[in-house]
Amino acid sequence: MSASPSAAPLSLGSPSLGAAGRFGRTPLIAHWRAFATAARLGWLMEANWTDPFLFFVYSVAKPLAATLILVLMVLVIGGASSAEFRAFVVVGSALWSFVVGGIAGLAWSILDDRERYRMLKYLYVSSSAFAVVLIGRGTARVAIGAVGALVTLTVGVGFLGVRLDPGRIDWLLLVGSMAFGLVAILALGVLLASVILQTRQESWSYPEAVAGALFLIVGAVFPLSVLPPVVQAVGLAMPLTWWLAGVRQALFPGSISSVGGPGSLFAQLSGHASPQSGEILVALLVTAAVVTLGSGVAFRAAQRRVMQKGLIDLTTGS
Amino acid sequence: MSAASWAVGRQGPSSGGPREAATWDRRQVIATELRAVRGRSYPRIAGMFREPSWIFFEILLPFLTTSAFVFVYRALQAPPEYVGFVVLGGVMIAFWLNVVWLMAGQLYWEKDQGNLELYFAAPMDMMSVLFGMAFGGLIMSSTRAAVVLVVASVLYDVVFNVQQWLLLGGVFLLTLFALYGLGMVLASLFLLWGREVWHLNQLLQEPVYFVSGVNFPVNRLGLLGALAVATLPLAVGLDAMRQLAFAGQAAATAFLPPEAEAVLLVVMVGAFLILARVMLRLMERLARREGRLTVRGR
Repeated sequence: MSASPSAAPLSLGSPSLGAAGRFGRTPLIAHWRAFATAARLGWLMEANWTDPFLFFVYSVAKPLAATLILVLMVLVIGGASSAEFRAFVVVGSALWSFVVGGIAGLAWSILDDRERYRMLKYLYVSSSAFAVVLIGRGTARVAIGAVGALVTLTVGVGFLGVRLDPGRIDWLLLVGSMAFGLVAILALGVLLASVILQTRQESWSYPEAVAGALFLIVGAVFPLSVLPPVVQAVGLAMPLTWWLAGVRQALFPGSISSVGGPGSLFAQLSGHASPQSGEILVALLVTAAVVTLGSGVAFRAAQRRVMQKGLIDLTTGS
Repeated sequence: MSAASWAVGRQGPSSGGPREAATWDRRQVIATELRAVRGRSYPRIAGMFREPSWIFFEILLPFLTTSAFVFVYRALQAPPEYVGFVVLGGVMIAFWLNVVWLMAGQLYWEKDQGNLELYFAAPMDMMSVLFGMAFGGLIMSSTRAAVVLVVASVLYDVVFNVQQWLLLGGVFLLTLFALYGLGMVLASLFLLWGREVWHLNQLLQEPVYFVSGVNFPVNRLGLLGALAVATLPLAVGLDAMRQLAFAGQAAATAFLPPEAEAVLLVVMVGAFLILARVMLRLMERLARREGRLTVRGR
């Protein structure tokens, strides 16, 4: 049987485009299958090394300890605003599990596949879009981060004096903030993955370093108003800032604002002390869109460079 | 001396195959071990110059993490010495991270990369490899620690009040020796494990920072803090250094006098080095028996 003359000729297009480069436009269902398979693979790689109980303990120990460090710092100093500030740091550090999981998930999946399992080149030339596979792998870690966040919040409410009233939760703001926020987190993960594609084995520590640096400028554990105005401006341009502010305002309406407050840059620019729900969602949407577009451009540029320089399967050691 | 010759050394009297190595005299053995230390530390030191991105990711960004905790205390309007506590904690975290990732987990990574069997086949003691890793890692993390100390102190107006410089220097060095000794013990232990290593490394970060009181006085943890001081070089070293770097300000929040903590560190250094040697032999034997020395990706 001869090939149909109308069929697209088989040629080796850019592997970075996956099936699209070789066989025409990839149907959405194929992307979904690649994503689901990669997410499942990521989950199995993260979770099947031990029994579920031990896995659970390992998954929550880190975010819980990070929260306890901050709570102890608040308790050591004490003061009138101690209880309110405790809720502030508990929510911020609980949500940070998503950020660490999202950013590290994508970066570590590259290092795992390139340096340890030596599979990156095979993934790269497979018919699935490389970026979709990576995002799938990263999503598995975000899910683990979600468990850590949930447990940390539960411990905060149960044992650390955080008062959460389910009747006062602003569900619309919560769902909107989480949806846009998670997209932004994965976009930041793709951005860092673009760097990690080009660096050496020691890049294991980079995701935590990036997450740690973002920790400073997004109002995770203290209000932005204590930072110099220039740094506040950088923070206001980050989607994570608005995501954290949105989730905080949704869970604890009227609590300390990480964005606004007396003397904050936001208050000076907007003329009112704290952002409203609508402002938060619009700011989150805009900043998340910019980061997502930027990460797409950076990822394509990184792919071109690693192909030109032959870095895709280059392993290093030290 | 060129980079390559620095790495592998000159072909001296100790060259030759394993059969010849069995008849080496003491001088040849020592020379080979020193070359092994130098050779293993070489990629870590040379790597610093070949991959400039680490300056941004491993110095600048961790400095910002330390800064975040400084601003938490500022937001709480804490006394100024607490900012100093955080800065000292940030300095020591640089070494701890190096111990966890580039000492404890290293033999496991080497196994995954296929280098481990080469180490065992080479006519040298594995302790030399561990010393080499420690030395190279120490150089790497000292750079980061120095930047955090100097820049943070200047930027956040940390005022040190040191009255016993010699004791402070001694405690600092003892803490490093104890930390890297612990790293050697963990490296041996991790040799037997598979993917647990990765997750255990994760567990050795924030939970250890918490029990060691990296950002607050460890005595606030009561019994848990006492246990940490008795077993973790990071906890006891930080407690002693805070007392010595902020004389008169940190004594009220300390567990033991710095002299006593220095003695504790000396004990830890000895114990960890002996334990590392014993563990390495034991784990190597177990790994050989169970055939795990060359098993990768598990």
